[in-house]
Amino acid sequence: MARLIVMGGGVSGHTTATFAKKWLGKEHEVVVVTPNSQWNWIPSNIWVGVGQMTKKDVVFPLAPVYKKAGIDYRQAKAVSIHPEGKEGDETPFITIEYTSPDKAGQTEEISYDYLVNATGPKLNFDATPGLGNGAGQMGSHTVSVCTADHAVHANEELQKIFDKAKNGTRQKILVGTGHGLCTCQGAAFEYIFNIEHEAKKAGVRDMLDIKWISNESFMGDFGMGGLHMKVGGYVVSSKLFAESLFAERDVPWLIGAHVNKVENGKAHYELLDGTMGVEEFDFAMLIPPFAGVGIKAYAKDGSDMTDKIFAPNGFMKVDADYSGKPYSEWKASDWPRTYQNPDYKNMFAAGIAFAPPHPISKPMKSVNGTDIFPTPPRTGMPAGIIGKAVAYTICDMIKDPNAKPHEASMAEMGAACVASAGKGLTSGTAAAMTVYPVVPDFEKYPGTGRDTNYTFGEIGLAGHWIKHVLHHMFIWKAKLRPAWTLIPE
Amino acid sequence: MIHEKNFEKNDQFTLTMMPGGFAKKMRTCLIFQAFRFAVINIKMLVVVSKSH
Repeated sequence: MARLIVMGGGVSGHTTATFAKKWLGKEHEVVVVTPNSQWNWIPSNIWVGVGQMTKKDVVFPLAPVYKKAGIDYRQAKAVSIHPEGKEGDETPFITIEYTSPDKAGQTEEISYDYLVNATGPKLNFDATPGLGNGAGQMGSHTVSVCTADHAVHANEELQKIFDKAKNGTRQKILVGTGHGLCTCQGAAFEYIFNIEHEAKKAGVRDMLDIKWISNESFMGDFGMGGLHMKVGGYVVSSKLFAESLFAERDVPWLIGAHVNKVENGKAHYELLDGTMGVEEFDFAMLIPPFAGVGIKAYAKDGSDMTDKIFAPNGFMKVDADYSGKPYSEWKASDWPRTYQNPDYKNMFAAGIAFAPPHPISKPMKSVNGTDIFPTPPRTGMPAGIIGKAVAYTICDMIKDPNAKPHEASMAEMGAACVASAGKGLTSGTAAAMTVYPVVPDFEKYPGTGRDTNYTFGEIGLAGHWIKHVLHHMFIWKAKLRPAWTLIPE
Repeated sequence: MIHEKNFEKNDQFTLTMMPGGFAKKMRTCLIFQAFRFAVINIKMLVVVSKSH
């Protein structure tokens, strides 16, 4: 009997664990270790953040689902990985620390035959002084929509702003990225336009100044270097459509910005041209940069080998090209295919937890030498596809340790994304997009890096309906309801 | 024209493009968007199938 441990129960980890258990049956063990007691459909957090959904709408408890699936669920955080075992016992294991109320703080060792790191991101608020509280959590000057609880708080603060606006006091809202190396510009995009939409509904739009601030060097980058699509006989950059929407909705933008300090009502920033500035605000949602969750790794003799297993940003190394080549030499083949750790073939990283070889967007430095560019996004569809491919590989390897790993390169897969621009069954809109491939391949698709026959975007009510359908569909799938395996990632 | 009023607000807005009244109306036209819902879903399913 083999044991697979999946660290993390988000989109990628949950996909890996549930498919692996389905395919392995009762003969083998699947263990999920996650500090969370609930699964969160993160794309809908922005609607919680504007009061259009409640926390209950976007989360559900994991324990009953894993019990139904026959998965051993430990509500705990992974602390360290020991892929070589320890002196006297070469069985690899991890150490965990329980976060469940009944066992909080207790530690345990769990051995494994296969390990998947799907721990997602650490929300690194403290990377920007004032964005965090100095203790690893969000500070008090801004709000966040990264978790359901954060989004609930964000809406509470937003409603106070709307009340002040209704009482005649002009309010300034700032939304975007809270550091020069953030990703998830798409989430910020959704939030700013949902705020704008709700403000119109509330009759306070004319009392709000709403502004965008981000680390993108051009509007519409979204961490993917933008995209090109065919419109009206032209092939058009996403820059044009992004700028158009912001102008249409009266939301000016400040880009190429590294927010380097946040104070009460002020975001300090540096621009690519070296300009230093301050944006004042009454309400701000600034996405934090991401890092790995901070798992340590130890060799058999107990020596620290974290640097061998993890990149400096805390994400786990996999079969990618980490040689640090310059932008001009980047290739699609730099990106991983199997998500196996190069040193320990029974260890994988899926979803946000794997270390990308480099960004997708062009790296930029300010004249002062400050890095200001988006880091790569790992949106839900690729995260799920990677999780499933890793599950496939592990199930094959359990039967035959020399089985060929399955491949799921982000340079050979597409993504379907929906970015909400306002909620409403007949008044809402969203930008529905497909990108193929996610990581551009300029050798295969000269000029744009993508197949423009399968890369498109349009904004409308249809996109909003699709986002609603996806909300219900993926929660259905995550709860392992009937026919859940038929729903593609 | 009302949909062009934002052009004059700042230099950023002046240099971009703005949807006209018809384009904006079609975004929430139920019949047209029902058709687009079907088309976009097909496009997405094609990309999904190419990716698996």
